[in-house]
Amino acid sequence: MITLEQLRAWGADTDEALPRCLNNEAFYLRLVGKAVAEPSFDRLREAVEAGDLDKAFEQAHALKGVTGNLALTPIDRPVREMTELLRSRTDMDYRPLLSEIMDRRAELMALCG
Amino acid sequence: MNGMPDLYAEDRKRFVLIVEDEYVNRELLNTYLENDYELLFAETGTEALEIIRSRSETLSLVLLDLILPDINGLEILRRIKQDEDLARIPIIVLTSDIESEVESLNAGASDFISKPYPRHEVIMARVRRSIELSENRDLIRWTERDHLTGLFNREYFYRFAEQYDLFHAKEPTDAIVVDISHFHMINERFGKAYGDEMLRKIGAEILRMSRLYGGIACRREADTFQVYCPHRTDHDVLVRQITDAVNKELHGHVRLRAGIYADVDKSLEMERRFDHAKDAADAIRNSFSTLVAVYDDSLHEKEVFAERLLDDFHDALERKQFTVFFQPKFDIRPDKPVLCGAEALVRWKHPELGMVSPGVFIPLFEGNGLIRDLDNYVWREAAAQIRAWKDTLGRSVPVSVNVSRVDMMDPDLADTLRGIVIENGIDFGDLHLEITESAYTQDAKQIVEVVSSLREMGFRIEMDDFGSGYSSLNMLSTLPIDALKLDMLFIRTAFSEKGNTRMIEITLDISHSLSVPMIAEGVETEDQMLALRKLGCDIVQGYYFAKPMPAEEFSAFLTR
Repeated sequence: MITLEQLRAWGADTDEALPRCLNNEAFYLRLVGKAVAEPSFDRLREAVEAGDLDKAFEQAHALKGVTGNLALTPIDRPVREMTELLRSRTDMDYRPLLSEIMDRRAELMALCG
Repeated sequence: MNGMPDLYAEDRKRFVLIVEDEYVNRELLNTYLENDYELLFAETGTEALEIIRSRSETLSLVLLDLILPDINGLEILRRIKQDEDLARIPIIVLTSDIESEVESLNAGASDFISKPYPRHEVIMARVRRSIELSENRDLIRWTERDHLTGLFNREYFYRFAEQYDLFHAKEPTDAIVVDISHFHMINERFGKAYGDEMLRKIGAEILRMSRLYGGIACRREADTFQVYCPHRTDHDVLVRQITDAVNKELHGHVRLRAGIYADVDKSLEMERRFDHAKDAADAIRNSFSTLVAVYDDSLHEKEVFAERLLDDFHDALERKQFTVFFQPKFDIRPDKPVLCGAEALVRWKHPELGMVSPGVFIPLFEGNGLIRDLDNYVWREAAAQIRAWKDTLGRSVPVSVNVSRVDMMDPDLADTLRGIVIENGIDFGDLHLEITESAYTQDAKQIVEVVSSLREMGFRIEMDDFGSGYSSLNMLSTLPIDALKLDMLFIRTAFSEKGNTRMIEITLDISHSLSVPMIAEGVETEDQMLALRKLGCDIVQGYYFAKPMPAEEFSAFLTR
């Protein structure tokens, strides 16, 4: 089970997220565990790989709400960037951004155990 | 809205629906709100719409995520706001985009909560405030609407109609009043619950029609509705459609009628416009064939004139503007007809309006009970005149006076009449009381009792307008009467249609079998008089002998 310190060390802005979870550390950590398992990650990867920008935008947008609320900054930053690019359907290679998102998620997953 | 929904009860938790497909976000909101609200959750748009529809009456708020797996959140927002039954439910949109916030507010969202979420106190405050605002708005709507039908009430309707005018200043507009004919009978026959159901249905149909035609509607009062809409000429179709729809659904036989003030004069106060429409509707109150009446100025003038007469009545009585005229009655049995009495007829010389026809003011005063005061006045004047003739000419001239239907309901009638006779020192037999036949047939038992007691006192009773009512022969034989007075219409028709006097003969047979004299009025020519004499008529009154005349003239007539 991940600790608050580990989460902070990984890069999450726990000072921002904790009050949002009514300063309930256990509740926060439980939600982080849920967030990291969100099916939106896989759906985002599928959409990017299929070149479906509409779907990719929806999934990135959905993820942004979650990563933002839990202040999972290392994931939230590339997700935001990707969402904004997808919003204007920018024609580009999204795979590097996707890799970053998936790598950070893998790290967090490992921490969550 | 039939009753205030009980979700307003203070001690009860309001229902709040959270529509959010992300577990984390849902959990956060749950944590913030679960203590204060009864929370419901939906993860898809379809699920959300189902819950909203099934709980449309009790749901206090929806928190709506814009990105959902099936239906777009904005689309859900639009569907709710376009649905009459759901539109009242406030919706707070959950979004992480500035653009969506603006779009949501434009689509009818009450507020938004951005992601990442602000402090939970902010969320709680926004939720509370949105619910409060919507409940206050419901309360306002509650007071501006008629509770039974959900239509505007009259006061608000007038205000909205004025607003309507601002945006349609140059368009011709109609003011319409829709009435249910004899609605009290529906309530009496089928009960109030059915009557209410009928009002609701009519209200709904009127609302539907008014919207279709681009107007507004309200319930004016009890069974009366109002519509203000762009001018059109097919209102009869509209009334028929509403009537048919209501009757079909409720298996009823309701009859609606509409008064229309078409292409209203917009300088006129809003309420006056609908008063005009109401006057038109009232004018066809008793017509079974006319569905729609259009107001015109002559109707208004008639109303205003009637109003004026009613206003001036008491003054006129005090200032003796009413004069009693006397029309002689002749016994035509002898070769040379003999004057045998008179009928007292009232005339009104109005200082500004001149001579007002009794054909106008008598039905008017009969309609509202003022006729009692007028009859009383005539009785006193007639009695005083009988006395005067006794004193100056030394002879008794019996005078018949009218006793209206409302007089017959007066428990003091006998005392009043007795008092008049005694005060003037005349005989009871000098005053003949004319009671219309239709009074007997409408309230037979009571009338017979009253008339019997008057007759026992010594008054002579004449049945007026005989032939216009529907007395049964059986009833006639038991009636306490001393004379039959033939309805003037018989004379007119008998002598205008090639001397077809059959009806007169029949009524004469009746008078003979009852052993009472027959009086014919409205006799205008010698031929008519002679024909009546031949048929066996006893007494005649009419222009052939003399018009109604003032007392002094009548005195001269007597001494001639």
